[in-house]
Amino acid sequence: MNISELSAFDIVKHVAAGDVTAVDVAQHYLNAIEADDRRYRSYLCVTRDQALASAEDIDRRRAAGKTLGPLAGLPVAIKDGLCTQGVATTAASKMLESFVPPYNATVVQKLADADAVMLGKTNLDEFAMGSSTENSAFEPTKNPWNTDHVPGGSSGGSAACVAGRLAPVSIGSDTGGSIRQPASFCGITGLKPTYGRVSRFGLIAFASSLDQIGPMSVSARDTALTMSVISGHDDRDSTSARQPVPDFCAELEKPLAGLKIGLCREHLDAELPADVQGAINEAIKVFKSLGATTTDIHLPHSPYGIAAYYVIASSEASSNLARYDGVRYTMRAEAETLEQMYGRTRTEGFGPEVRRRIMLGTYALSSGYYDAYYIQASKVRRLIKDEYESALNSVDVILGPTCPSTAFRFGENTKDPLAMYLADIFTVTSNLAGNPGISIPCGLGDDGLPIGLQLQGRPFDEATLLRMAHQFQQQTDWHLRRPQS
Amino acid sequence: MSDPVDLNTVEHVARLARLELTAEQAAESARHLASILKYVDQLSELQIANDVEPFFGATEMINAIRPDVVCESTARETILDNAPDSDGEFYRVPPVFK
Repeated sequence: MNISELSAFDIVKHVAAGDVTAVDVAQHYLNAIEADDRRYRSYLCVTRDQALASAEDIDRRRAAGKTLGPLAGLPVAIKDGLCTQGVATTAASKMLESFVPPYNATVVQKLADADAVMLGKTNLDEFAMGSSTENSAFEPTKNPWNTDHVPGGSSGGSAACVAGRLAPVSIGSDTGGSIRQPASFCGITGLKPTYGRVSRFGLIAFASSLDQIGPMSVSARDTALTMSVISGHDDRDSTSARQPVPDFCAELEKPLAGLKIGLCREHLDAELPADVQGAINEAIKVFKSLGATTTDIHLPHSPYGIAAYYVIASSEASSNLARYDGVRYTMRAEAETLEQMYGRTRTEGFGPEVRRRIMLGTYALSSGYYDAYYIQASKVRRLIKDEYESALNSVDVILGPTCPSTAFRFGENTKDPLAMYLADIFTVTSNLAGNPGISIPCGLGDDGLPIGLQLQGRPFDEATLLRMAHQFQQQTDWHLRRPQS
Repeated sequence: MSDPVDLNTVEHVARLARLELTAEQAAESARHLASILKYVDQLSELQIANDVEPFFGATEMINAIRPDVVCESTARETILDNAPDSDGEFYRVPPVFK
Protein backbone atom coordinates (compact mmCIF):
# COMPACT_ATOMS: atom_id res chain seq x y z
CA MET A 1 0.00 0.00 0.00
CA ASN A 2 1.50 3.34 -1.02
CA ILE A 3 0.58 5.51 1.94
CA SER A 4 1.52 8.73 0.13
CA GLU A 5 -1.22 8.04 -2.44
CA LEU A 6 -3.94 7.57 0.19
CA SER A 7 -6.50 10.29 0.74
CA ALA A 8 -7.54 11.13 4.31
CA PHE A 9 -10.75 9.25 3.61
CA ASP A 10 -8.77 6.17 2.54
CA ILE A 11 -6.39 6.35 5.50
CA VAL A 12 -9.30 6.31 7.92
CA LYS A 13 -10.97 3.46 6.05
CA HIS A 14 -7.83 1.30 5.87
CA VAL A 15 -6.82 1.87 9.50
CA ALA A 16 -10.33 0.94 10.65
CA ALA A 17 -10.21 -2.20 8.49
CA GLY A 18 -6.79 -3.18 9.76
CA ASP A 19 -5.17 -2.99 6.28
CA VAL A 20 -2.53 -0.62 7.64
CA THR A 21 -1.54 0.36 11.15
CA ALA A 22 -1.80 3.88 12.53
CA VAL A 23 1.89 3.61 13.38
CA ASP A 24 2.79 2.82 9.76
CA VAL A 25 0.83 5.84 8.54
CA ALA A 26 2.33 8.16 11.16
CA GLN A 27 5.84 6.82 10.50
CA HIS A 28 5.41 7.36 6.77
CA TYR A 29 4.61 11.03 7.27
CA LEU A 30 7.27 11.55 9.92
CA ASN A 31 9.84 10.07 7.51
CA ALA A 32 8.61 12.31 4.69
CA ILE A 33 8.91 15.37 6.94
CA GLU A 34 12.43 14.33 7.92
CA ALA A 35 13.42 13.90 4.27
CA ASP A 36 11.69 16.85 2.61
CA ASP A 37 10.81 19.61 5.04
CA ARG A 38 14.31 21.05 4.98
CA ARG A 39 13.32 22.25 1.51
CA TYR A 40 9.95 23.73 2.43
CA ARG A 41 10.30 24.65 6.13
CA SER A 42 6.58 24.17 6.62
CA TYR A 43 6.79 22.82 10.19
CA LEU A 44 7.96 24.88 13.16
CA CYS A 45 7.84 21.85 15.40
CA VAL A 46 7.35 18.12 14.75
CA THR A 47 5.73 16.20 17.60
CA ARG A 48 7.33 12.90 16.69
CA ASP A 49 7.15 11.02 20.01
CA GLN A 50 3.65 12.19 20.73
CA ALA A 51 2.48 11.21 17.23
CA LEU A 52 3.90 7.70 17.53
CA ALA A 53 2.48 7.28 21.04
CA SER A 54 -0.99 8.31 19.83
CA ALA A 55 -0.70 5.98 16.86
CA GLU A 56 0.42 3.05 19.06
CA ASP A 57 -2.50 3.67 21.36
CA ILE A 58 -4.91 3.60 18.42
CA ASP A 59 -3.46 0.31 17.15
CA ARG A 60 -3.67 -1.17 20.66
CA ARG A 61 -7.31 -0.17 21.05
CA ARG A 62 -8.17 -1.48 17.62
CA ALA A 63 -6.59 -4.82 18.42
CA ALA A 64 -8.61 -4.93 21.66
CA GLY A 65 -11.81 -4.38 19.73
CA LYS A 66 -12.46 -0.91 21.17
CA THR A 67 -14.42 1.68 19.18
CA LEU A 68 -12.18 4.12 17.36
CA GLY A 69 -12.89 7.77 16.62
CA PRO A 70 -14.05 8.86 13.14
CA LEU A 71 -10.57 10.06 12.12
CA ALA A 72 -8.62 7.22 13.73
CA GLY A 73 -5.03 7.17 12.47
CA LEU A 74 -5.33 10.30 10.32
CA PRO A 75 -2.20 12.45 10.62
CA VAL A 76 -2.96 16.16 10.91
CA ALA A 77 -0.72 19.23 10.99
CA ILE A 78 -1.87 22.20 13.09
CA LYS A 79 -1.17 25.87 12.36
CA ASP A 80 0.94 27.29 15.17
CA GLY A 81 -1.72 29.86 16.04
CA LEU A 82 -3.83 27.15 17.69
CA CYS A 83 -3.06 26.24 21.30
CA THR A 84 -1.82 22.72 21.87
CA GLN A 85 -1.48 21.62 25.48
CA GLY A 86 2.11 21.00 26.48
CA VAL A 87 3.39 21.80 22.98
CA ALA A 88 5.00 25.13 22.15
CA THR A 89 2.58 27.53 20.44
CA THR A 90 4.36 30.56 19.09
CA ALA A 91 2.05 32.26 16.57
CA ALA A 92 5.40 32.56 14.69
CA SER A 93 6.31 35.44 17.00
CA LYS A 94 9.29 36.13 19.25
CA MET A 95 6.73 37.29 21.79
CA LEU A 96 5.50 33.71 22.25
CA GLU A 97 8.65 31.80 21.33
CA SER A 98 8.67 30.08 24.72
CA PHE A 99 4.93 29.91 25.33
CA VAL A 100 3.52 26.48 26.14
CA PRO A 101 -0.28 26.51 26.44
CA PRO A 102 -1.87 24.77 29.42
CA TYR A 103 -4.86 23.73 27.32
CA ASN A 104 -5.92 22.55 23.88
CA ALA A 105 -7.89 24.66 21.46
CA THR A 106 -11.35 23.17 21.02
CA VAL A 107 -10.52 22.15 17.43
CA VAL A 108 -7.33 20.44 18.62
CA GLN A 109 -9.27 18.61 21.34
CA LYS A 110 -11.97 17.52 18.90
CA LEU A 111 -9.35 16.13 16.51
CA ALA A 112 -7.67 14.28 19.39
CA ASP A 113 -11.02 12.90 20.58
CA ALA A 114 -11.63 11.72 17.00
CA ASP A 115 -8.28 9.84 17.18
CA ALA A 116 -6.50 11.99 14.63
CA VAL A 117 -2.71 11.98 15.08
CA MET A 118 -1.01 15.38 15.38
CA LEU A 119 2.24 15.53 13.41
CA GLY A 120 3.31 19.00 14.52
CA LYS A 121 2.78 22.76 14.30
CA THR A 122 3.07 24.64 11.05
CA ASN A 123 4.54 28.01 10.14
CA LEU A 124 2.51 31.16 9.61
CA ASP A 125 2.83 34.91 9.23
CA GLU A 126 3.36 36.34 12.72
CA PHE A 127 0.04 36.50 14.60
CA ALA A 128 -1.62 35.52 11.30
CA MET A 129 -0.86 38.94 9.82
CA GLY A 130 0.30 38.52 6.26
CA SER A 131 -0.28 36.92 2.87
CA SER A 132 3.03 35.16 2.23
CA THR A 133 4.40 33.67 5.49
CA GLU A 134 7.36 36.04 4.98
CA ASN A 135 6.31 37.73 8.24
CA SER A 136 7.10 34.68 10.34
CA ALA A 137 9.59 35.76 13.01
CA PHE A 138 11.49 32.51 12.50
CA GLU A 139 11.84 31.74 8.82
CA PRO A 140 9.80 31.81 5.63
CA THR A 141 8.12 28.71 4.24
CA LYS A 142 8.71 27.85 0.57
CA ASN A 143 6.11 26.92 -2.01
CA PRO A 144 6.67 23.24 -2.91
CA TRP A 145 5.80 24.03 -6.55
CA ASN A 146 8.73 26.43 -6.84
CA THR A 147 10.81 27.25 -3.80
CA ASP A 148 11.61 30.76 -5.09
CA HIS A 149 7.93 31.55 -4.61
CA VAL A 150 5.87 32.10 -1.48
CA PRO A 151 3.30 29.53 -0.33
CA GLY A 152 0.89 32.35 0.52
CA GLY A 153 -0.25 33.27 3.99
CA SER A 154 -0.92 33.45 6.69
CA SER A 155 -1.46 29.64 6.75
CA GLY A 156 1.56 29.10 4.49
CA GLY A 157 3.00 26.20 6.50
CA SER A 158 -0.33 24.40 6.59
CA ALA A 159 -0.70 24.77 2.81
CA ALA A 160 2.88 23.82 1.96
CA CYS A 161 2.91 20.66 4.09
CA VAL A 162 -0.19 19.30 2.34
CA ALA A 163 1.09 20.29 -1.11
CA GLY A 164 4.46 18.75 -0.30
CA ARG A 165 2.78 15.55 0.94
CA LEU A 166 4.04 16.05 4.46
CA ALA A 167 0.52 15.74 5.90
CA PRO A 168 -2.76 14.58 4.35
CA VAL A 169 -4.77 17.22 6.22
CA SER A 170 -3.81 20.41 8.00
CA ILE A 171 -5.68 23.01 10.01
CA GLY A 172 -5.38 26.69 9.14
CA SER A 173 -7.12 29.91 10.10
CA ASP A 174 -8.60 32.58 7.85
CA THR A 175 -9.18 36.22 8.78
CA GLY A 176 -8.93 37.90 5.35
CA GLY A 177 -8.09 34.90 3.16
CA SER A 178 -5.40 33.11 5.13
CA ILE A 179 -6.69 29.60 4.33
CA ARG A 180 -7.99 30.20 0.82
CA GLN A 181 -5.11 32.23 -0.62
CA PRO A 182 -2.34 29.78 0.41
CA ALA A 183 -4.58 26.92 -0.74
CA SER A 184 -4.78 28.66 -4.12
CA PHE A 185 -1.02 29.33 -4.27
CA CYS A 186 -0.17 25.72 -3.30
CA GLY A 187 -2.76 23.91 -5.41
CA ILE A 188 -4.79 22.43 -2.58
CA THR A 189 -8.33 22.68 -1.18
CA GLY A 190 -8.96 25.10 1.68
CA LEU A 191 -12.26 26.00 3.32
CA LYS A 192 -13.11 29.03 5.42
CA PRO A 193 -16.34 28.05 7.21
CA THR A 194 -19.17 30.43 8.03
CA TYR A 195 -18.25 32.66 10.95
CA GLY A 196 -19.36 30.79 14.06
CA ARG A 197 -19.38 27.33 12.47
CA VAL A 198 -16.08 26.30 14.10
CA SER A 199 -15.10 27.28 17.64
CA ARG A 200 -12.34 29.87 17.97
CA PHE A 201 -11.54 28.84 21.56
CA GLY A 202 -7.80 28.36 21.75
CA LEU A 203 -7.03 30.18 18.49
CA ILE A 204 -4.62 33.00 19.30
CA ALA A 205 -6.84 35.91 18.37
CA PHE A 206 -6.00 38.32 15.57
CA ALA A 207 -9.39 39.87 14.66
CA SER A 208 -12.17 38.31 16.68
CA SER A 209 -15.07 39.14 14.36
CA LEU A 210 -13.21 37.84 11.29
CA ASP A 211 -11.10 34.84 12.40
CA GLN A 212 -12.23 31.33 11.49
CA ILE A 213 -10.46 27.98 11.67
CA GLY A 214 -10.79 25.57 8.75
CA PRO A 215 -9.39 22.44 7.09
CA MET A 216 -6.82 22.31 4.29
CA SER A 217 -6.39 19.10 2.31
CA VAL A 218 -6.06 17.56 -1.12
CA SER A 219 -9.77 17.20 -1.82
CA ALA A 220 -13.26 18.40 -1.02
CA ARG A 221 -14.13 14.99 0.40
CA ASP A 222 -11.21 15.03 2.83
CA THR A 223 -12.21 18.58 3.77
CA ALA A 224 -15.80 17.46 4.40
CA LEU A 225 -14.62 14.57 6.58
CA THR A 226 -12.58 16.96 8.74
CA MET A 227 -15.34 19.60 8.87
CA SER A 228 -17.79 17.12 10.34
CA VAL A 229 -15.43 16.65 13.29
CA ILE A 230 -14.28 20.20 13.98
CA SER A 231 -17.60 22.03 13.56
CA GLY A 232 -20.19 22.73 16.19
CA HIS A 233 -21.28 24.98 18.99
CA ASP A 234 -18.83 25.46 21.85
CA ASP A 235 -19.81 26.96 25.22
CA ARG A 236 -16.31 28.36 25.52
CA ASP A 237 -16.66 30.49 22.36
CA SER A 238 -19.49 32.94 22.85
CA THR A 239 -19.51 33.70 19.12
CA SER A 240 -19.96 30.09 18.09
CA ALA A 241 -23.24 29.34 16.37
CA ARG A 242 -25.90 26.93 17.57
CA GLN A 243 -26.63 25.76 14.02
CA PRO A 244 -26.90 21.98 13.77
CA VAL A 245 -23.91 20.39 12.04
CA PRO A 246 -24.89 18.31 9.00
CA ASP A 247 -22.90 15.28 7.89
CA PHE A 248 -20.81 17.19 5.39
CA CYS A 249 -20.03 14.01 3.43
CA ALA A 250 -23.67 12.97 2.97
CA GLU A 251 -24.60 15.09 -0.04
CA LEU A 252 -21.31 15.27 -1.92
CA GLU A 253 -22.74 13.24 -4.83
CA LYS A 254 -26.09 15.05 -5.11
CA PRO A 255 -26.36 16.27 -8.71
CA LEU A 256 -25.67 19.91 -9.47
CA ALA A 257 -28.54 20.25 -11.94
CA GLY A 258 -30.48 23.37 -11.12
CA LEU A 259 -27.74 25.04 -9.10
CA LYS A 260 -27.36 28.72 -9.95
CA ILE A 261 -23.86 30.15 -10.02
CA GLY A 262 -23.37 33.90 -9.67
CA LEU A 263 -20.48 35.53 -11.52
CA CYS A 264 -19.51 38.72 -9.75
CA ARG A 265 -18.88 41.39 -12.37
CA GLU A 266 -16.79 43.53 -10.03
CA HIS A 267 -14.36 40.61 -9.64
CA LEU A 268 -14.38 39.19 -13.14
CA ASP A 269 -14.19 42.51 -14.98
CA ALA A 270 -11.05 43.44 -13.04
CA GLU A 271 -7.84 43.06 -14.99
CA LEU A 272 -7.01 39.42 -14.45
CA PRO A 273 -3.95 37.79 -16.02
CA ALA A 274 -4.94 35.79 -19.10
CA ASP A 275 -3.95 32.43 -17.62
CA VAL A 276 -6.09 32.98 -14.51
CA GLN A 277 -9.02 34.20 -16.60
CA GLY A 278 -8.64 31.20 -18.91
CA ALA A 279 -8.64 28.69 -16.04
CA ILE A 280 -11.74 30.26 -14.50
CA ASN A 281 -13.57 30.19 -17.84
CA GLU A 282 -12.73 26.49 -18.29
CA ALA A 283 -13.97 25.77 -14.78
CA ILE A 284 -17.26 27.52 -15.51
CA LYS A 285 -17.69 25.19 -18.51
CA VAL A 286 -17.19 22.17 -16.25
CA PHE A 287 -19.91 23.34 -13.86
CA LYS A 288 -22.26 24.00 -16.77
CA SER A 289 -21.61 20.49 -18.08
CA LEU A 290 -22.73 19.23 -14.66
CA GLY A 291 -26.05 21.02 -14.97
CA ALA A 292 -25.41 24.33 -13.22
CA THR A 293 -26.37 27.63 -14.79
CA THR A 294 -24.59 30.97 -14.52
CA THR A 295 -25.83 34.51 -14.18
CA ASP A 296 -24.20 37.86 -13.51
CA ILE A 297 -24.46 39.30 -10.03
CA HIS A 298 -23.17 42.47 -8.50
CA LEU A 299 -21.43 43.16 -5.21
CA PRO A 300 -21.09 46.92 -5.73
CA HIS A 301 -19.23 47.67 -2.50
CA SER A 302 -16.76 44.78 -2.80
CA PRO A 303 -14.04 47.08 -4.22
CA TYR A 304 -14.07 48.79 -0.81
CA GLY A 305 -13.49 45.48 0.96
CA ILE A 306 -9.73 45.82 1.38
CA ALA A 307 -10.03 49.29 2.89
CA ALA A 308 -12.80 48.25 5.27
CA TYR A 309 -10.96 45.04 6.15
CA TYR A 310 -7.67 46.69 7.02
CA VAL A 311 -9.33 49.27 9.25
CA ILE A 312 -11.47 46.70 11.06
CA ALA A 313 -8.93 43.89 11.31
CA SER A 314 -6.17 46.22 12.51
CA SER A 315 -8.51 47.81 15.06
CA GLU A 316 -9.47 44.45 16.48
CA ALA A 317 -5.85 43.31 16.41
CA SER A 318 -4.72 46.37 18.36
CA SER A 319 -7.15 45.35 21.07
CA ASN A 320 -6.39 41.61 21.00
CA LEU A 321 -2.64 42.12 21.11
CA ALA A 322 -2.79 44.51 24.06
CA ARG A 323 -2.43 41.52 26.37
CA TYR A 324 1.17 40.95 25.25
CA ASP A 325 2.76 43.32 27.71
CA GLY A 326 5.52 41.35 29.39
CA VAL A 327 3.40 40.44 32.44
CA ARG A 328 2.01 36.98 31.70
CA TYR A 329 3.16 35.46 28.43
CA THR A 330 6.79 34.40 28.83
CA MET A 331 8.64 37.21 27.10
CA ARG A 332 9.74 40.29 29.04
CA ALA A 333 12.35 42.83 27.95
CA GLU A 334 14.95 44.36 30.28
CA ALA A 335 13.31 47.33 31.96
CA GLU A 336 13.33 49.35 35.16
CA THR A 337 9.87 50.84 35.03
CA LEU A 338 6.53 49.35 34.16
CA GLU A 339 6.16 51.67 31.16
CA GLN A 340 9.52 50.56 29.82
CA MET A 341 8.59 46.91 30.36
CA TYR A 342 5.46 47.34 28.27
CA GLY A 343 7.06 49.44 25.56
CA ARG A 344 10.27 47.43 25.13
CA THR A 345 8.66 44.01 25.39
CA ARG A 346 6.15 44.92 22.71
CA THR A 347 8.59 46.63 20.37
CA GLU A 348 11.10 43.79 20.68
CA GLY A 349 8.54 41.00 20.71
CA PHE A 350 6.45 42.09 17.73
CA GLY A 351 7.74 42.14 14.15
CA PRO A 352 7.34 45.12 11.79
CA GLU A 353 4.03 44.10 10.19
CA VAL A 354 2.43 43.40 13.56
CA ARG A 355 3.61 46.80 14.84
CA ARG A 356 2.26 48.46 11.66
CA ARG A 357 -1.20 46.97 12.17
CA ILE A 358 -1.28 47.78 15.87
CA MET A 359 -0.41 51.39 15.02
CA LEU A 360 -3.08 51.58 12.32
CA GLY A 361 -5.70 49.98 14.54
CA THR A 362 -4.88 52.17 17.52
CA TYR A 363 -5.13 55.26 15.31
CA ALA A 364 -8.45 54.14 13.81
CA LEU A 365 -9.96 53.59 17.25
CA SER A 366 -8.54 56.69 18.91
CA SER A 367 -10.60 59.64 20.01
CA GLY A 368 -11.43 61.88 17.09
CA TYR A 369 -10.89 59.17 14.49
CA TYR A 370 -13.15 56.35 15.70
CA ASP A 371 -16.23 57.52 13.78
CA ALA A 372 -14.39 58.43 10.62
CA TYR A 373 -12.49 55.18 10.39
CA TYR A 374 -13.79 52.28 12.49
CA ILE A 375 -17.50 53.14 12.39
CA GLN A 376 -17.38 54.16 8.73
CA ALA A 377 -15.62 50.89 7.83
CA SER A 378 -18.22 48.98 9.85
CA LYS A 379 -21.03 50.65 7.92
CA VAL A 380 -19.36 49.63 4.66
CA ARG A 381 -19.14 46.14 6.18
CA ARG A 382 -22.93 46.22 6.63
CA LEU A 383 -23.37 47.14 2.96
CA ILE A 384 -21.05 44.33 1.85
CA LYS A 385 -22.92 41.83 4.02
CA ASP A 386 -26.30 42.97 2.70
CA GLU A 387 -25.06 42.67 -0.89
CA TYR A 388 -23.97 39.06 -0.28
CA GLU A 389 -27.38 38.29 1.17
CA SER A 390 -29.15 39.90 -1.75
CA ALA A 391 -26.97 38.18 -4.38
CA LEU A 392 -27.37 34.79 -2.69
CA ASN A 393 -31.16 35.19 -2.84
CA SER A 394 -30.99 34.90 -6.61
CA VAL A 395 -28.03 32.48 -6.89
CA ASP A 396 -26.82 29.59 -4.77
CA VAL A 397 -23.11 30.26 -4.93
CA ILE A 398 -20.70 32.93 -6.16
CA LEU A 399 -17.75 31.83 -8.35
CA GLY A 400 -14.52 33.61 -9.16
CA PRO A 401 -10.75 33.45 -8.83
CA THR A 402 -9.37 33.11 -5.31
CA CYS A 403 -6.41 35.39 -6.07
CA PRO A 404 -5.53 37.93 -8.75
CA SER A 405 -2.36 35.96 -9.57
CA THR A 406 -0.37 32.81 -8.96
CA ALA A 407 2.16 32.71 -6.09
CA PHE A 408 4.52 35.67 -6.24
CA ARG A 409 8.26 35.54 -5.55
CA PHE A 410 9.86 36.16 -2.19
CA GLY A 411 10.45 39.85 -1.66
CA GLU A 412 8.14 40.88 -4.50
CA ASN A 413 5.54 42.52 -2.25
CA THR A 414 7.52 43.28 0.89
CA LYS A 415 8.66 46.80 0.02
CA ASP A 416 5.14 48.20 -0.04
CA PRO A 417 2.78 46.76 2.60
CA LEU A 418 -0.19 48.04 0.63
CA ALA A 419 0.83 45.94 -2.41
CA MET A 420 0.76 42.87 -0.17
CA TYR A 421 -2.69 43.80 1.19
CA LEU A 422 -4.16 43.94 -2.32
CA ALA A 423 -3.47 40.20 -2.80
CA ASP A 424 -6.53 39.58 -0.59
CA ILE A 425 -8.97 41.44 -2.82
CA PHE A 426 -11.23 38.46 -3.57
CA THR A 427 -11.15 36.87 -0.14
CA VAL A 428 -11.66 39.63 2.46
CA THR A 429 -15.30 40.31 1.69
CA SER A 430 -16.50 36.91 2.89
CA ASN A 431 -14.69 37.42 6.19
CA LEU A 432 -16.39 40.80 6.55
CA ALA A 433 -19.80 39.34 5.76
CA GLY A 434 -19.29 36.01 7.57
CA ASN A 435 -20.12 33.81 4.57
CA PRO A 436 -18.21 30.58 3.88
CA GLY A 437 -15.71 30.28 1.03
CA ILE A 438 -13.68 27.43 -0.46
CA SER A 439 -10.67 27.51 -2.76
CA ILE A 440 -9.93 24.57 -5.06
CA PRO A 441 -7.22 24.20 -7.71
CA CYS A 442 -8.49 24.77 -11.27
CA GLY A 443 -5.38 25.09 -13.40
CA LEU A 444 -1.73 25.92 -13.67
CA GLY A 445 -0.45 29.34 -14.69
CA ASP A 446 2.02 30.10 -17.47
CA ASP A 447 4.64 29.97 -14.72
CA GLY A 448 3.63 26.42 -13.77
CA LEU A 449 2.16 27.57 -10.47
CA PRO A 450 -1.36 26.64 -9.29
CA ILE A 451 -4.45 28.73 -9.97
CA GLY A 452 -7.31 28.66 -7.46
CA LEU A 453 -11.05 28.92 -7.94
CA GLN A 454 -13.18 30.31 -5.13
CA LEU A 455 -16.79 29.41 -4.37
CA GLN A 456 -18.62 31.51 -1.79
CA GLY A 457 -21.96 30.51 -0.34
CA ARG A 458 -24.80 31.26 2.00
CA PRO A 459 -24.18 31.27 5.74
CA PHE A 460 -23.97 27.71 7.04
CA ASP A 461 -24.22 26.25 3.53
CA GLU A 462 -20.71 24.75 3.41
CA ALA A 463 -22.38 21.56 2.15
CA THR A 464 -23.19 23.16 -1.23
CA LEU A 465 -19.63 24.44 -1.61
CA LEU A 466 -18.21 21.00 -0.77
CA ARG A 467 -20.62 19.29 -3.14
CA MET A 468 -19.70 21.54 -6.06
CA ALA A 469 -15.99 21.24 -5.27
CA HIS A 470 -16.20 17.45 -4.98
CA GLN A 471 -17.94 17.01 -8.31
CA PHE A 472 -15.56 19.43 -10.03
CA GLN A 473 -12.76 17.23 -8.66
CA GLN A 474 -14.41 14.16 -10.14
CA GLN A 475 -14.41 15.77 -13.60
CA THR A 476 -10.91 17.26 -13.42
CA ASP A 477 -7.57 16.25 -11.95
CA TRP A 478 -6.05 19.62 -10.95
CA HIS A 479 -6.32 18.67 -7.28
CA LEU A 480 -4.24 15.53 -7.91
CA ARG A 481 -1.39 17.35 -9.61
CA ARG A 482 1.74 17.49 -7.52
CA PRO A 483 4.87 19.56 -7.66
CA GLN A 484 7.79 17.70 -9.23
CA SER A 485 9.71 16.13 -6.37
CA MET B 1 -9.59 63.94 4.68
CA SER B 2 -6.85 62.31 6.77
CA ASP B 3 -4.62 64.67 8.69
CA PRO B 4 -0.99 64.58 7.65
CA VAL B 5 0.65 61.99 9.83
CA ASP B 6 3.27 63.99 11.69
CA LEU B 7 5.66 62.65 14.25
CA ASN B 8 3.56 64.03 17.12
CA THR B 9 0.66 61.87 15.96
CA VAL B 10 2.95 58.85 15.63
CA GLU B 11 4.29 59.43 19.15
CA HIS B 12 0.77 59.77 20.52
CA VAL B 13 -0.43 56.58 18.85
CA ALA B 14 2.71 54.71 19.91
CA ARG B 15 2.12 55.76 23.50
CA LEU B 16 -1.50 54.55 23.34
CA ALA B 17 -0.26 51.27 21.87
CA ARG B 18 2.54 50.95 24.43
CA LEU B 19 5.18 50.67 21.72
CA GLU B 20 8.59 52.23 22.35
CA LEU B 21 9.64 53.14 18.80
CA THR B 22 13.11 54.29 17.79
CA ALA B 23 13.36 57.48 15.73
CA GLU B 24 13.79 55.37 12.60
CA GLN B 25 10.80 53.17 13.45
CA ALA B 26 8.69 56.27 14.14
CA ALA B 27 9.61 57.78 10.77
CA GLU B 28 8.80 54.51 8.99
CA SER B 29 5.52 54.33 10.87
CA ALA B 30 4.61 57.86 9.77
CA ARG B 31 5.24 56.86 6.15
CA HIS B 32 3.26 53.64 6.40
CA LEU B 33 0.34 55.25 8.20
CA ALA B 34 0.21 58.02 5.59
CA SER B 35 0.18 55.50 2.77
CA ILE B 36 -2.51 53.22 4.22
CA LEU B 37 -4.69 56.09 5.44
CA LYS B 38 -4.60 57.60 1.96
CA TYR B 39 -5.85 54.24 0.64
CA VAL B 40 -8.62 53.83 3.22
CA ASP B 41 -9.80 57.41 2.76
CA GLN B 42 -11.87 56.09 -0.14
CA LEU B 43 -14.28 54.89 2.57
CA SER B 44 -14.91 58.43 3.72
CA GLU B 45 -15.83 59.46 0.19
CA LEU B 46 -18.72 57.00 0.16
CA GLN B 47 -22.16 58.49 0.64
CA ILE B 48 -23.82 56.12 3.07
CA ALA B 49 -27.47 56.52 4.04
CA ASN B 50 -28.13 57.54 7.64
CA ASP B 51 -30.13 54.44 8.40
CA VAL B 52 -27.22 52.06 7.65
CA GLU B 53 -26.21 50.52 10.96
CA PRO B 54 -22.58 49.46 11.39
CA PHE B 55 -22.04 45.68 11.34
CA PHE B 56 -19.59 44.36 13.90
CA GLY B 57 -19.61 40.76 12.77
CA ALA B 58 -20.79 37.45 14.14
CA THR B 59 -24.36 36.40 14.03
CA GLU B 60 -25.44 39.39 16.07
CA MET B 61 -26.45 37.19 18.94
CA ILE B 62 -27.06 38.86 22.25
CA ASN B 63 -24.81 37.95 25.16
CA ALA B 64 -24.21 34.22 25.23
CA ILE B 65 -24.14 33.49 28.95
CA ARG B 66 -23.63 30.44 31.11
CA PRO B 67 -24.78 29.60 34.63
CA ASP B 68 -22.61 31.23 37.29
CA VAL B 69 -21.25 27.97 38.67
CA VAL B 70 -17.71 27.36 39.87
CA CYS B 71 -15.96 24.71 37.75
CA GLU B 72 -12.52 23.19 37.88
CA SER B 73 -10.03 25.50 36.28
CA THR B 74 -6.33 25.29 35.42
CA ALA B 75 -3.88 24.81 38.30
CA ARG B 76 -2.04 27.94 39.38
CA GLU B 77 1.42 26.35 38.98
CA THR B 78 0.61 25.36 35.41
CA ILE B 79 -0.45 28.87 34.51
CA LEU B 80 2.62 30.36 36.18
CA ASP B 81 4.85 28.12 34.03
CA ASN B 82 4.48 30.83 31.39
CA ALA B 83 5.19 33.71 33.77
CA PRO B 84 8.25 35.81 32.94
CA ASP B 85 8.69 36.39 36.69
CA SER B 86 6.69 35.03 39.57
CA ASP B 87 6.88 34.44 43.32
CA GLY B 88 5.01 31.17 42.92
CA GLU B 89 1.69 32.80 43.63
CA PHE B 90 1.57 36.03 41.64
CA TYR B 91 3.13 37.54 38.55
CA ARG B 92 5.92 39.87 39.70
CA VAL B 93 6.30 43.17 37.84
CA PRO B 94 8.05 46.54 38.31
CA PRO B 95 6.04 48.77 40.67
CA VAL B 96 2.87 50.34 39.31
CA PHE B 97 3.20 53.27 41.72
CA LYS B 98 6.56 54.67 42.63
